[in-house]
Amino acid sequence: MLNKLKERLRQKEYRRLFAVIIASKVIGVVVLLLAMKAASAYLFTPAFADDAPAPPPAYVNPINTMWTVIAAFLVFFMQAGFMGLEAGFARTRETVNVLLEGIVDTCLCGILFWAWGFAFMFGAGNGFIGHQYFFLQGVPETYGSTGVAFLAYWLFQFAFADTCSTITSGAMVGRTGFVGDLLYSFGVSGFIYPIIGHWAWGPDGWLTAIQPVAFHDFAGSTVVHTIGGFIALSGCIVLGPRLGRKFKRDGGGAMPGHDMTIAAIGGVILWFGWYGFNPGSTLSAMDAAGCGRVAANTTLAACAGGLSALFFMYPRNKIWDCGMTVNGFLAGLVAITCPCYWVSPTGAIILGAVAGVVCALAVDLMEWLRLDDPVGAVAVHGACGIWGTLSLGLLGCGLYGAPGPTGADNSDASVVTGLFYGGGTKVLVSQAIGSASITVATFAVSMLMMYAVKLTGTLRVSKEGEIEGLDVHEHGGTAYPELIGAGSSMHSPMGSGGVASTAAAE
Amino acid sequence: MKVEAIIREDCLDAVVGRLLLIHVQGLTVFPVKGAARGDAHRAVFRGSSYPVPFVSKLLIEWYGTDDEAEAVVRAIQRAAATGTGGDGKIFVERVEEAVRIRTGERGLDAI
Repeated sequence: MLNKLKERLRQKEYRRLFAVIIASKVIGVVVLLLAMKAASAYLFTPAFADDAPAPPPAYVNPINTMWTVIAAFLVFFMQAGFMGLEAGFARTRETVNVLLEGIVDTCLCGILFWAWGFAFMFGAGNGFIGHQYFFLQGVPETYGSTGVAFLAYWLFQFAFADTCSTITSGAMVGRTGFVGDLLYSFGVSGFIYPIIGHWAWGPDGWLTAIQPVAFHDFAGSTVVHTIGGFIALSGCIVLGPRLGRKFKRDGGGAMPGHDMTIAAIGGVILWFGWYGFNPGSTLSAMDAAGCGRVAANTTLAACAGGLSALFFMYPRNKIWDCGMTVNGFLAGLVAITCPCYWVSPTGAIILGAVAGVVCALAVDLMEWLRLDDPVGAVAVHGACGIWGTLSLGLLGCGLYGAPGPTGADNSDASVVTGLFYGGGTKVLVSQAIGSASITVATFAVSMLMMYAVKLTGTLRVSKEGEIEGLDVHEHGGTAYPELIGAGSSMHSPMGSGGVASTAAAE
Repeated sequence: MKVEAIIREDCLDAVVGRLLLIHVQGLTVFPVKGAARGDAHRAVFRGSSYPVPFVSKLLIEWYGTDDEAEAVVRAIQRAAATGTGGDGKIFVERVEEAVRIRTGERGLDAI
């Protein structure tokens, strides 16, 4: 393509055409800028400074609410990304199962979050669990001090909860029974995520009250990703590997996924959805600088994570590894999720680059431990969630405090300063306490839950079912029926139809 | 005569084009997998490598008179050769009988 361009640039007519195109674009931009300048001079009168602090203008709540619902839509779209990524990294034989789990997790999570998930997580209560707004009864107009319409806030948080439960299914692809999936999803969306999430994000969660610095988790490296990742780990341990999976220590290797196209596109859709996940967590469009900084940091960490995973893996096999690069940029995104508001762009690049390597090493560790995680959910979400949470204690740049409904609060009392910026170890200690307590609690509870589901006999499909393939065994057909004889003929693939009945008709 | 050739997937167009030049039409093409000689090729998925014991090839079959067969063999050999390992093989066999299903014609008439 570059050669073609070069060739064309040598021809005079093409050169002239390019010049015309570029000149017209420049003129267009200049005219547009002038028009904007003129319009703003006419439309807006300069603001006058008042001595007394005025109440926030009436447009603040609608603007913040609109930003929050748009961010919620973006976060919701991450489901499409997860489904693509997990289906692509799975084998052909379990594709329908992966897709249906993604959809059913979403539906189940919505109902549970309406019934009691939101109440446990965001209702007032004690430090460990909330108990307010069950079935969304008795709700105020806006949530807390955010100024965001209550149900918009609920929608945004539902999208987060949904993400957490979908992460879990990733590590359990290919051998989980569908009923078992429903049972553990019920536990994840209805109990584990809301209750443990309450500790960090609830209005009176105990992690928000630890001294001298509260535990900070801006958009959920710990609350969403570490919880999801460690439930995935426990599922992976209790289930055991897929039939026929041999690990590197035993002379085996990976079971390749079946569609790198859909996996890579799914990864990029997740990246796109992250622009709702992180910037949306300001819950305030009025903190415009914060939104912009968070979005830029999110991008930079993903870029650095993708590149570091790519170059870290190259020497091993002397190939440029697409699957690991997708995991690498997702690792960068997971890591930046907690510190995105408080770090500088340079800090984002550093922590994203480290995350890419952490992810690759965690994948190796899982392989060494003989744990079969088909999509790398534990490495990406579990390990990098912990790294991202701790990284705030190192890289918090000491300039930014907290977003508020009418703008950022960057006062000295609220800024977060990490170890590398002269803030000492107190933020790092708080982050470590928060990350460790949530990780350990999640892992312990989810191990119990997975064993309980296993006792019901539904967690893992039968050996016959697994050999047959989950799609055929549980869902009555493969995702690609035309690839396997039946259905590739011009006749309906019916037992009594086909050639014989056509001949009889003649 | 039956000419059977195992060729590279991307050589099919060249082979068909070459056969058209000598006015030979009518091929059957099968996608096939073969075990390569020597070490198995290795592929990588998310950082860990795994062996790929089989490589994809195409098997083409042509049926025709004895006179044409030699020209067909030569055409396929020229069109499918890239000079590197894995170009494939050609086999020639005698055919006992041929029947056209639609009309029931036999022998050379059926071809």
